[in-house]
Amino acid sequence: MNALISTAVFGIFLMISGLFIKSKQAIRILAISGVVAAFVLNIIDFRQYGASATELFHGMLSVTNFGLLFIEIILGCVLVYFLLSGKDLANIGHYTGEYFALIFFILCGVVLAATYGNMLMLFLSIEIMSIPQYILAGSDKHNLKSHEASLKYFLMGAFSTGFLLMGIALLYGATGSFDITTMNLAGRPIDAMALAGIILIAFALAFKVSAAPFHFWTPDVYDGAPTVVTSFISTIVKVGGFVAFIRLFHIAFGSPDVDKHWLLVLSIITAATLIIGNVTAVFQQSVKRMLAYSSISQAGFMLFAVIAMNVLSWQGILLYAAAYSLATIGCFAILMKMKDYTYDGYNGLAQKQPLLALMNTIFLFSLVGIPATAGFLAKYFVLSAAVEKGGLLWLVILAVCCAAISAFYYFRLIWAMYFKAGDCQVEEHAITPAFKSVLALTALLVIILGVWPGLILAWI
Amino acid sequence: MPIQNYIWLSIALFSIGVIGVLIRRNAIVIFMCIELMLNAVNLLLVAFSKYHHDASAQIFVFFIMVVAAAEVSVGLAIIVMVYRHTKSVDVNILNRLKN
Amino acid sequence: MGIYHLLWLIPALPLLGFLILAIFGLKMPNRAIGIIGCASIGLAALLTIIIGINFLTSPPTGNFYQQTLWTWFSVHGFSPAISFYLDPVSLIFTFVVTFVSFLIHWYSTEYMRGDEGYPRFFAYMNLFVFSMLTLVLANNLLLLYLGWEGVGLCSFLLIGFWYKEQENCYAARKAFIVTRFGDTAMIIGLFLLVKNFNTLNIQDILTKAPSLWQPGATTAFWAAILLLGGALGKSAQLPLQTWLPDAMAGPTPVSALIHAATMVTAGVYLIARMHVLYELAPVVQLIVAIIGAATLLIAGFSALAQRDIKRVLAYSTISQIGYMFLALGVGAWSAAIFHFMIHAFFKGLLFLAAGAVILAMEEEHDMFKMGGLRKKMPVVFWTFLFGSGALAAIPIITAGFYSKDQILFFALASTKGSFWLWLCGFVGAFLTAIYTFRMVFVTFFGEQKKEVHRKPTNSIKIPLIILGILSLIAGFIEIPKAWGNFAPFSSLMNKVMPQVQLAAGMENKEVLLEVITGIIALLGVYLAWQFCLKSPKVLYNFKTTGLGRFIDKFFFKGFMFDQLYDIILVRPVVWLSKIDKRDFVDRIYEAIGNLGLLLNKIFSRTQNGYLRWYVCGLVLGMAVALTIILFV
Repeated sequence: MNALISTAVFGIFLMISGLFIKSKQAIRILAISGVVAAFVLNIIDFRQYGASATELFHGMLSVTNFGLLFIEIILGCVLVYFLLSGKDLANIGHYTGEYFALIFFILCGVVLAATYGNMLMLFLSIEIMSIPQYILAGSDKHNLKSHEASLKYFLMGAFSTGFLLMGIALLYGATGSFDITTMNLAGRPIDAMALAGIILIAFALAFKVSAAPFHFWTPDVYDGAPTVVTSFISTIVKVGGFVAFIRLFHIAFGSPDVDKHWLLVLSIITAATLIIGNVTAVFQQSVKRMLAYSSISQAGFMLFAVIAMNVLSWQGILLYAAAYSLATIGCFAILMKMKDYTYDGYNGLAQKQPLLALMNTIFLFSLVGIPATAGFLAKYFVLSAAVEKGGLLWLVILAVCCAAISAFYYFRLIWAMYFKAGDCQVEEHAITPAFKSVLALTALLVIILGVWPGLILAWI
Repeated sequence: MPIQNYIWLSIALFSIGVIGVLIRRNAIVIFMCIELMLNAVNLLLVAFSKYHHDASAQIFVFFIMVVAAAEVSVGLAIIVMVYRHTKSVDVNILNRLKN
Repeated sequence: MGIYHLLWLIPALPLLGFLILAIFGLKMPNRAIGIIGCASIGLAALLTIIIGINFLTSPPTGNFYQQTLWTWFSVHGFSPAISFYLDPVSLIFTFVVTFVSFLIHWYSTEYMRGDEGYPRFFAYMNLFVFSMLTLVLANNLLLLYLGWEGVGLCSFLLIGFWYKEQENCYAARKAFIVTRFGDTAMIIGLFLLVKNFNTLNIQDILTKAPSLWQPGATTAFWAAILLLGGALGKSAQLPLQTWLPDAMAGPTPVSALIHAATMVTAGVYLIARMHVLYELAPVVQLIVAIIGAATLLIAGFSALAQRDIKRVLAYSTISQIGYMFLALGVGAWSAAIFHFMIHAFFKGLLFLAAGAVILAMEEEHDMFKMGGLRKKMPVVFWTFLFGSGALAAIPIITAGFYSKDQILFFALASTKGSFWLWLCGFVGAFLTAIYTFRMVFVTFFGEQKKEVHRKPTNSIKIPLIILGILSLIAGFIEIPKAWGNFAPFSSLMNKVMPQVQLAAGMENKEVLLEVITGIIALLGVYLAWQFCLKSPKVLYNFKTTGLGRFIDKFFFKGFMFDQLYDIILVRPVVWLSKIDKRDFVDRIYEAIGNLGLLLNKIFSRTQNGYLRWYVCGLVLGMAVALTIILFV
C-alpha cells in the first residue's frame, strides 16, 4: 500500500515543513512532487494486485486492482488540480504547508475509501476525508461566509457521522462482524435491525456524496468555502465518497436477496437528487453556486453506478470519476481567474481570452455529456449499467431528461462567453502560459478519454 | 438483561441527541447533542460486543472516541472562530449563505 | 506489411493540419498557412500513393488490410472500434480524395490570396479532407457516420464561407437542412442495422446479412432504403438535389473539392460499400437505378438553360452522379466507381478552370458576359476543353468516354438493366454534350466582352494541367471488352465487388452501342456549335416565343423543384405554425417549464441558509425512507 503510506507521510512531512520553509513556491513544488511520487509508487504497487481481493493488515484493507486504479485516477486528478490551482491554494492564507498537508490527509482517506475491507476502516476513511475538509472550508479566516460554511459543514457532517456509526453498530448487532466480506448478508433472513443498519449507512454516505435529501449543506458549503477548496471538495472528495459507497454496497449488500430491500429507497434518492440538483441549478446567478448544484446533479448520475451493481457500473464510476473531476477542476480553475463570479462576469470572455473560453466550453460539454468527451461515455456507461440491471428504465429516462435540463445551465455559460457582449474582468497576471498549457492538456485529456476510454478501462 | 433493553436504551439516547440537534440553537449544545449520539452508539457497540462474545466492537469504540476527540478539537476551533466574528454561538445568525 | 501500418496517418495528417491552423492560424503568415494546408494533404496523398502501389504490386491476403487503432467502448457486446479498412474500393476513393484535394489546395493558395479568411479557409478544408478520409476508410458505420456528418459540417461552413453576404448563409443553411432529411433516414437505418446485427462493423454486416435475410426481405428493404436516403441527400439526387446548385455560393475551390469531386460522391461510396444489402433488396436497387436515370435527365435539361458557369457545372455534377447511381442500380459497381474517379478528375478540373475564369473576370459568374477568352487564357482554355471533352464523353480521346460508355452499356446489358434505363442515359449523354460545349463556346469563343484582370499563375496552371492530362488519359486503364482484354481497374474492383451479370446475347452489342453514343456526343457538340456560335439567332427567337420562354424558365429553375417544395413543404409548415402559435403541445411544454419554475422556487426556498432547517430536512428524509424500507 504505497499510496496510503506515501500520502500519509507526505502529509506529515508537509505539515512540519511549513515550520521551516517560508517560500510558498517551494512548498507548492514539494506538494506537487509528493503527488507525483505517490502516483509513481502506486503504479509500482499496481502490478502486485489482481482482480481478486488481497487482504492486508488482518483484513482491514482489501486491495484490488480496481481500488488501485481508482487511486491512480484520483492522484492524477490531484496532480492536475495542483498544477492548475496550486497557487490559489497556497495563497488562501499564511499557512501554506498546512493547506497542502490537509489535502494529503484527505487523499489518505480517499485511498482508504478505495481499499477498506472493514467497517472500522470505512469509518476512519470517511472521517479522515471529512475533518480536514471542515478546516479547509473555513480556511479563509477573514471571511464570515467561509466560517459559516465551515460550521455548517462541521455540524451536519458530525451529525451524519452519528448515523453512520449507528448503522454500523446495528449491522454489527445483526451479523456479529465488521468485515465487509464476511458480513455478507446473502442467504440469511434479514431482520429489521440489519435493514435499519444498512439504510442508516446509506444515509450517511448519501450525505457525504450530497445526494438529496441530504444535499442541503452542499450549495452553502461550496459557495462559502474558498473557491480553490470548493474545487477540491466537490471533485476528489466526492468521488472518494462514491467509491466507498459503491464498494460497500456491492461487496457487502450486493446480493440480489439483499438489494431488493434498499433498491427502491436508493432509486428514489437518485431520482430526487437528479431533479433537485438540475432544477435548482437552472436559475442560479453565481457560477460558483451553479457548479455546486451541478455537482449534486452529477452525483445523481454517479448514484446509478451504486444501484446498478454490475461490471459496467464499476467501469462507469472509474470513467465518471475521471471525467467529472477533470472537467470540474478545469471549470473552477477558470472561475478562479474571474473577478466576478456571476454569469454576467463571463460576458465576452471569448474575445478577451479565447483559449480559456474554448477550454471552458470543452469542460462544460463534458459535464453535459456531449459525445466525444469523457463525460458522454461516463454517463453512457452508468446509464447502460442501469439498463442492464433491469427494472430501472424509468430512472434512466428521468436521467436523460435531466441531462437535457443540465444543458441549459451549462450552455448558458457558453452563451455568456461567446454570444454576449461584455467586458469581463479577469486576473490577467494569473493567466500564465504554463496555466494555459496545463488547462489545454486537461481539456485534451477530457477529449482523449471520450474517444479512447481504454486508457483507463484497459487496466481492470 | 436481554440485549433488547440495551438496544432500546441506545436508541433512546440517540434520539434525544437527534432531537437536541433539531431544537437547540446554541452551536455548542448542538455539538454536545452530537456527542450524545456518538456515545449512544458506543454503548450499543459495547453491548453487542458482549452479546456476540467478540472484542472487535470494543476496539471500535476506542476508535470512535479518538476520532470524536479529533472532531471536538476541530469543531470547537471553528465555533471559536465564528464567535470571534459574530460574538455569538447562535446558529440562526448564520444565514448569509442561501439561495 | 510495414507500410500498411502507416494507414492511420492518411487521415491523421489532415487532422494535424487542421489543428495547427485552427489553433495558431491567426498568428501565422499566409505563406506558412498555405504550406501547412498543402503539405498535410500532400503528404497524405504521397502516403496513399505509396500504400496504393504496395497494394497493387503485392496485395495483402484477402485483398484488404484492416487497422484497428482502438475500441471506443464495449457495452452489451456492442463495441464500435476506431478502425480503418483498406480494400480496392476505399483505396480508389482515398487516392482520389487525397490527390485531388492536394491539387485543389495548391490551387487555393493562389485563388484565396488576399482573402481575410485565409487561415479559416485552409483549416476548414483540412478538416473536410480529414472527415472525408474518415468516411471512406471507416471500418464501421458509426465512424463512417462521423465522417459523413463531418463533411456535411465542413460543406455548411465552406458554402457560407463568405458569411457577410446573407445569400451565402441561406445557401449554406439550405444545403444543411436538405441533406438533413437524408441523414435522418440514414441514422434510422443505422439503428435498424444495430438492432438486427448488434454491430456496425461493415464487413460483419456484409457477411452476416445474406444468412440473416432472404433476398427481398422486408427488413433488408428498409435498411437499404433508409441508407439510400442518406446517400440521396449527400449526393444531391432526386428528390433532394435542390441544395447543390445553391451551394455554388462557396468559393470555387470548395465547389471543386466538396461539391464535385469528393463529398457529393459519398452516397455512391456508401451504396457501393453496402452493396450486399442492395443485392438483398432488389426493389431498392431498382429504385436506385430509376432515381439515377431520372436525376441525370432532369439535371441535364436544367443545365441547358443556366447562365451562371458554376451552376452549369453544378447541374452537370448532379447529372453525372445520376450516372453513377444508374450504374449502382444495375449492379455495375466497378463502373460506378470508375466513373466517380474520372468524374473527380474532369469535374475538379472544370471547376478549377471556371474559378480561374471567374478570378480573371472579377467575380463575374454569368458566362454570357465573358466570351472570347480562348486567346487570352490559353492554358485555362485548353484544359477546360479537355475537361469538357471528358464530360461530354468525346469518343476515344477522352477519359469520360470510357467510363460513361461502360455505364451505358451495362444499363442495357446487365440483367438488372433495361432499354428504358439505357435510353435515359443515352439522352442524358446527348444533353451533356450540348450543355458542355455550349458553355465552352459561350465562354471561350466569340467576341470578348470583358477584360482579363488577373492572369493565372503557376499555382493555378499546374493543377489544371495535371488534371487536364488525367482527364484525357485516365480512361485507358479500362478499355472496353470488345476492343481488347485490358481492364486493370475492373479486375481490381472485382476482387471485392461482384461482377455485373450480363443478359444473354448482349456481349457483342458493345461496339454498336459505342458507335451510337460516340455519334450522339459529337452530334451534341455540333448542335452546341450551331446554336451558340454560328446562329444564336435561332435559339434566341425560340426563347422569345411563349413556349420557349416557359421551357427556358422551367429548365433554368431546375424543374421548379424549389418552388414545388416551397408550396408543398415550406408554406404549409409556415402556415400551420402561424395559425397554431399556441397549440396544446406548446401548452404541455409551457406547463413543464412552469412546473420547473415552481419547483425551482420551492427548492430554492428550502435552501434558506438555516442550519436547523437543513438538519430537519435531513431527519425528515431519513424518517420517510426508514418508513418505506421497514414498513412497506
